[in-house]
Amino acid sequence: MDSLQLQALLPFIVLASASVVIILLIAARQSHTVIQITGFLMMCLVVLAMWYVRDVLPRAIMPLLVVDGMAAVFTGLIVFCVLIIGLFSFIYFEEREENPKEYYILIFLGTLGAAVLTISRHFISVFIGLELLSISLYALIAYLRNRNNAVEAGMKYLVLAAMSSAFLLFGMALIYMDTGSMDFDGIAKQLQTQGHSPALFVTGIGLMMVAVCFKLALVPFHLWAADVYQGAPVPVTNFIATVSKIGVFAVLVRFAQAVQLQSYHFAVIIISFVAIVSMVGGNLLAIKQQNIKRLLAYSSIAHLGYLLVAFLPGNAAGIEAGMFYLFAYSITLLAAFGIVTMLSGRQADADQLEAYRGLYWRNPLMGAILTVALLSLAGIPLTAGFIGKFAVLNAGVQQQLWLPVIVLVITSVIGLYYYLRIISTLFAETQVIFPKEKSLHPLFVAGTYGALLVLLILLLGAGIFPSAVIDGIKNFLCQGFRIINF
Amino acid sequence: MGTTQILFWFLTALALLGAIMVLVSKNPVHSVLWLIVVFFAISGHYILLNAQFLAIVNLIVYAGAIMVLFLFVIMLMNLNAETEPQKSIWMKFFGVATGGLLLSFFISFIVSSIDLKNKTAQLKEGDVGLIKNLGKVLFSDYVIPFEIASILFLSAMVGAVVIGKKD
Repeated sequence: MDSLQLQALLPFIVLASASVVIILLIAARQSHTVIQITGFLMMCLVVLAMWYVRDVLPRAIMPLLVVDGMAAVFTGLIVFCVLIIGLFSFIYFEEREENPKEYYILIFLGTLGAAVLTISRHFISVFIGLELLSISLYALIAYLRNRNNAVEAGMKYLVLAAMSSAFLLFGMALIYMDTGSMDFDGIAKQLQTQGHSPALFVTGIGLMMVAVCFKLALVPFHLWAADVYQGAPVPVTNFIATVSKIGVFAVLVRFAQAVQLQSYHFAVIIISFVAIVSMVGGNLLAIKQQNIKRLLAYSSIAHLGYLLVAFLPGNAAGIEAGMFYLFAYSITLLAAFGIVTMLSGRQADADQLEAYRGLYWRNPLMGAILTVALLSLAGIPLTAGFIGKFAVLNAGVQQQLWLPVIVLVITSVIGLYYYLRIISTLFAETQVIFPKEKSLHPLFVAGTYGALLVLLILLLGAGIFPSAVIDGIKNFLCQGFRIINF
Repeated sequence: MGTTQILFWFLTALALLGAIMVLVSKNPVHSVLWLIVVFFAISGHYILLNAQFLAIVNLIVYAGAIMVLFLFVIMLMNLNAETEPQKSIWMKFFGVATGGLLLSFFISFIVSSIDLKNKTAQLKEGDVGLIKNLGKVLFSDYVIPFEIASILFLSAMVGAVVIGKKD
C-alpha cells in the first residue's frame, strides 16, 4: 500500500479514530457536552479530510476497496446525515436519565461500517462493513433498555439480521463456487468467459437479494421495520432510515454495475417484483397508522421501492436519479425525525399522532418544517422529493419500464392521503395544554434549530434549483467512471 | 488405498453419521454432543487438506467456545420432550421438501458440472492454509479488512457492555 492509497483512505481512518477519541474522553470522565462537541468536530474533520483527498481520487486499494466519485457522494451523504443526527441526539439524550455517552461510540462505528460498504469492491469488505453496521445497530436499538419496546426491537433486529447475514454468506459462497472469485470485477470477467447458464450464480444472487432486501426493509422482508423503528430511540431510528440504507444501496449499485446485473432477465424480474410489492405494501400499510414512527417506517418501505425503480434501468441516468432520490429522501427523513426528536419528552417519544395536533399554532417553525418534509415525502412540487420522484420516473420511462412506473404513480397518490392526514392534524385547533419545553443549553437549542433550518433550505433549494445538486452528482460520477477507462 | 484415503473415508463417514445423529437424537444435549463429533471430523478433513490453521480455529471456536454456549443455553432453557411444543406435520413436510430441493439442486449441479470433473483436492501439496502463508496474506493484501475486523470487535464489546451494564 503506497502513500496515495493511504491518503485516499484518510476520511475513513479519521472516522475510525473518532470512536476511539470518544472512548478516551469517556475514560477521562468528560461530560456529555464535551463528548457531543468533540464528536461534532470529528465529523467536520472527516468532511475536511474528504475535501483534502479529492485530487487523489479515484484510487483502488487492491484487492478490496476502491475510493472513487460514487463512493465520495455516498460517503459524503452518510457523514452529513451523521452530523445532523449527532446534533439531534444531544437534546434527545440530555434529558434522559441513562448515560448517553457510549451512544456516540456506537454511532461512529456504525457510520464506519456504512462508509466501508460504499467503498467495497469485494465480498469480504462488503461482509465486514455490513456486520460492523449491524452489530452497532443491535446495541443502538436496545440502547434505552428500560423502555418497553427497546429490548424487544433490538432482539428482533438481532435475530433477523443474523439470519439475513447467513443468507448473504451462503449467496456469496455459491457465487464464489461458480466463478472462483469474490472480487466484483473478477466475477464479471468470469461470467463473460463462462458460456453456459450460470445456475449457481442465479441461486447466489437470489440468496444475496434476500439479505439486501432485508437491510433495505423491502417487502416481503419488511416485517422488522415498523417494530424496530418504533422501539428504537428516535435518533437511532433516523440512523437506520438513512445511513444504513445509503450504505447498502451503494454496495448494491456498485455490484450491479460491475456484473451488469440488469442484463440478466431473472434479476430484472426479481427486482421489479420487489419494487412493486414494496410500493403497494408500504403505502397500504401506512394508511391506517396512528403512530408516526410506524407510519414513517411504512413510508420508508414504499420509498425504497421507488428507489428500486431508479435502480432497474442500470444505466448512468438511473444511477443519477437514484442518488438524487436518496439525497432527497435522506434530508427529508432527517427533518421529519428531527421534529419528532424535538417533541419527544422525558418518558416517551412523541410518536402518537395526537402529540402533533395543532403543532403549527404552538410552534410555527417546527410545524412548517414538518409540513415541508411531509410534502417532500409525498412528492409535491417545489420540494426535493418531487424532483427526486420526477428523476426516477424519467429514468424508468426512458427504459420503458411501464409496469413499475405506473405502480409508482398510483401508489404515490395513495401515499398523499396519509401525508396530508398528518398535515391536517398539524393545523387542527387544539385545547390541550402541553407542558413547556425543557430548559436546555441555549447553544444546543440554537444548533438544533439551525440544523432544522439548513435541512429546510436544502429541501426547498433542491426542489427549486435541482440542477446544482444534479450537476454535482454527475461530476462526481464522471470521476467514478474514469476508473473504468484506466 | 493409501492411509490418506482411508482417513478421508473414515472422517467422511463419521461426519455424516454425526450429522444424522444430531437430527434424530431426542435429547438436545445429545444433539450438541454429536455436533461436536461433526466438527472434529471436519477439522480432520482440514488437516488432510493441509489447512492446519483452519482446523485448529474450527476446533477452538466451534467445538470449544460455541458448543459450550449451546450447552449452556440448552441447560438454562431446561428443554424436555413433554413441554416441547409439537410441530405440525405440515411444517415437517415443508421443511423436508425445501431441504430436499436444495440438496437435489446441489447434487445435480455437482454431477453435471464440467469444472469439477476429474479434479481432486490438493492433499499434501496445498500450502494456502499454512499459518505462515495465511499470516503473510492477512498482513499485506488484507490488512485493511483485518483492521476493520478489529473495529468490529470493538463495536461488539462496547455494545455488550452498554446493554449488559447494571443500574
